[in-house]
This record gives sequence, structure tokens and C-alpha cells, in this order.
Amino acid sequence: MKTSGFILLIDSYLVRKGMIALLNRIQGARVLKEFGAGEPFLAYMESHPVDYIIIGQSEFKRQGDLFISKPKLLDKTILLEGPHKEGIIESAALHEVPASIHLMEDKETIIGKIRNLLDRDNKDPERSSMELSPRETTIVRLVSMGLTNRLIAEKLFLSAHTVMTHRKNINSKLGIKSVSGLIIYAIVNNIITIEEVSSPPSK
Amino acid sequence: MITRELLMYRVVLENLQLLPLLPRFNLKSGFGELSVDEVCQAHGVNTDFFLEIANAYLDELYVAEEGLSLFSLDTMVTYISSTHAYYKEIALPSVEKKLHHLMKHSSLSKKEINLVTNFFNDYKKDFMEHLSQEEEHILPYVLELEKQAGFEKPDSAFIEKLKSYSIREFEQEHDRLETSLKHLSELIIKYLPPFDDLQLCHQVLNDLAVLMKDLVDHADMEDKVLIPRVAELEKILLSRASN
Repeated sequence: MKTSGFILLIDSYLVRKGMIALLNRIQGARVLKEFGAGEPFLAYMESHPVDYIIIGQSEFKRQGDLFISKPKLLDKTILLEGPHKEGIIESAALHEVPASIHLMEDKETIIGKIRNLLDRDNKDPERSSMELSPRETTIVRLVSMGLTNRLIAEKLFLSAHTVMTHRKNINSKLGIKSVSGLIIYAIVNNIITIEEVSSPPSK
Repeated sequence: MITRELLMYRVVLENLQLLPLLPRFNLKSGFGELSVDEVCQAHGVNTDFFLEIANAYLDELYVAEEGLSLFSLDTMVTYISSTHAYYKEIALPSVEKKLHHLMKHSSLSKKEINLVTNFFNDYKKDFMEHLSQEEEHILPYVLELEKQAGFEKPDSAFIEKLKSYSIREFEQEHDRLETSLKHLSELIIKYLPPFDDLQLCHQVLNDLAVLMKDLVDHADMEDKVLIPRVAELEKILLSRASN
């Protein structure tokens, strides 16, 4: 699963740390940096892969104009609303942000909202280039069952060369070089069961 | 956050996660009443650098990127080398020994045992290759680059080499070593039958988790601090050479 980078622009130290604690529980979410009241964040965004900005209500009030003038920022914004609605939050900008969270919502609701957002954005094909294709998954399965490249080629009606290319792509996508590593990957990703794995030779 | 005037023994006592970090700076316990700064100075360690690394190690949100950019590449390379030594001589052999013991005294089938041991042997081989590739090619290159950048007239052969090579090539091939360890932990927790020696099993999982976190921090330092700075220096040197 792709990891999404978050930054936080929240003036309250406690709220910020609480938000970070929640984000750390969500697979695929990674907090890159936190910013307190008025700390400059734009320069940071230029050199870091920021996917989402969680911004507190008062920070949004302070910097809202900047966000509204930059659709690229607004597209990444998750608004954290406080107990008292303030002027700008009522404005149209609220309807343009991908998600908003309320300070008083319970833990599961907040985690659910962020997970949904990540799931939705992960479906974007551009974002999932590191995942295996169905063909590659089949090949991982056959490799785990102990088939040689030649047998895999015969079984899938491919040339041996094509199988080699797939194998190379699989290795570079997963960062796994050994067959034994691929087998463990296949088991924990439910591509194959331990029973189906070919008995590996003991070394 | 750790600061220079705090007492070292207190810092370590309250943050035992720092223990694996100490040998990389050649710091050993028995700190007495010395402050962090005093201990570092006594051991010839750059206190500011130690603080940056230790704080980043303890707090994922402590962003060391800006702070680390103040130090010479030479300081960073020395630290990377001693971290490698820690992985090779301490961390990995320790997990291996425990894992081996766990397998030997388990009621797992021969097939399951082979799955795990073959995996670990291959992983260890790839791991060692990864580290030696960095030690033999990347780190000396970084040191040479910094040295050449200090000369008024950099070596022309080096400049020629720069024209066809960039650290960015290494970045593209820089595999993440922690991913496979995560798969191993998941295999143990989710798919293998329970182990008789629960205590040992917990130790193995804990060691794996500590090593994984360490590897993530280490790769982050290489990818987010070292490589961008090296790439920047390459650019500066090339543009100087073309003027």
C-alpha cells in the first residue's frame, strides 16, 4: 500500500499530538512534519511529498485566503473544526476541501474518515504503480509453488524472455531479490498458502 | 527533547531505546554525573550531531533534516559506517541466533522451518551485499566529492566522472531493507503455529521491530539528508567546472 504524507498546521500542542497519535494508528499514513501557530510551511511543501494537510480551525481562519487562492493546497486540505464555528469556516471553502473532521468526533469516526480518504485516493491508478499487476501476482504464485521460469512460460503461454522481464519488474517493485523472500511475501499477502508452497530445500 | 546540559545517565535511563545508538558513537555506560555534552566531549563526539541523531531516533516527529544539514558529509559518512557495523556485528547476528534457537526448539514442520531459515539466510546475504555496495562505492564517492569541492581546482578526471554519474542513480536502486523483515514478523504472528517458547518468540519479534525502525530511520537519513546534499554538491561542482 502506498504511504501518504501528512503535515499538520494546528496551533494547539495537545490537539496536534493527539492528531498525530491517531494518524500513527492508520496504516499508510505518515506524519512528515508538524507546524504550530503561524509557522511557515510552504517552503517545506515544495521539497517534500506532502499528500494531505490537516489544518486547525484557527490556522485556517488565519491562512484561509492563501488556501482559497491555491486550489492545489485546497485539494489536499483536511479541515479540523473546533467547537465554535468561526466566520470563514462557513464560507464556500468548506465545501471544497476533500474532508473535514470535528474536534468532538470520537476516535473511530476520525480514523474512519481518514481511511476512506486514503482508500479513495489510492484507487487512483497513478498512485498504485508499485502494486503488482494480476499477471505479476500469478507469476509470484507460480514461483512460490516451485515452478522454474521455463515451466511458468509454458503454463502461461509466454516466452521465457517475457517471464524474465516480469520477474525483474516484480523484484524492483517489491524490493525483494530472493525466491525465499518472494514466498514469504506471497504467504502474508494471501497469494498462496503455506500448504501450497513447494517444499524448499534445506540449506 | 534531549539537550546538551542534561545528565547522560538520566537521558539513557529514561529512554532505553537509545541503547543501540550508543556504541555507534563509541559511548559506553558508566556515565556518572556527566552531562550529555561532557560525555560527548570526553569521547571526541560532536555533541550537536549526537543530539540531532538521538532526538530524531526518539521522536519520529523530530525533523532532523534541517539540523543535520549543518554537519559535514564526512561526519555523516562516519556515522553511517558505524551504524553499518552495528547492523552487521550486533543487530543481525543477534536476531539470527534467537531465530535459529526458536526454530530448533519449535514444533513446526520441517517445511515451515525451512521457509523461515532459507528466508533469513537469503535476507542476510542481500542485506550484507546492500551494505558493502554502499561502503565500497557510495560512501567513498561522497567523501571524495566533499574533498574535491573544497579544492579551488577540482581534479579534472573526477569532474569527467561526475558528468556521467550522479548519486541519484543510487537513489533509484536504493531498496528498503525493512520490508522483508515486516513480512517475517507477519508470518510468525499470523500464519505459523504458536511457539512453545513464548518468551523467546516475543524477543525475536521485538528485536525485529527494533531493527526495522532503525533501518527506516537510517534509510530516511540517507534518502532525505545525505542524497539531496550530495546531489546539490554535484551540481555546484559541475557548474563551477563549466565556468
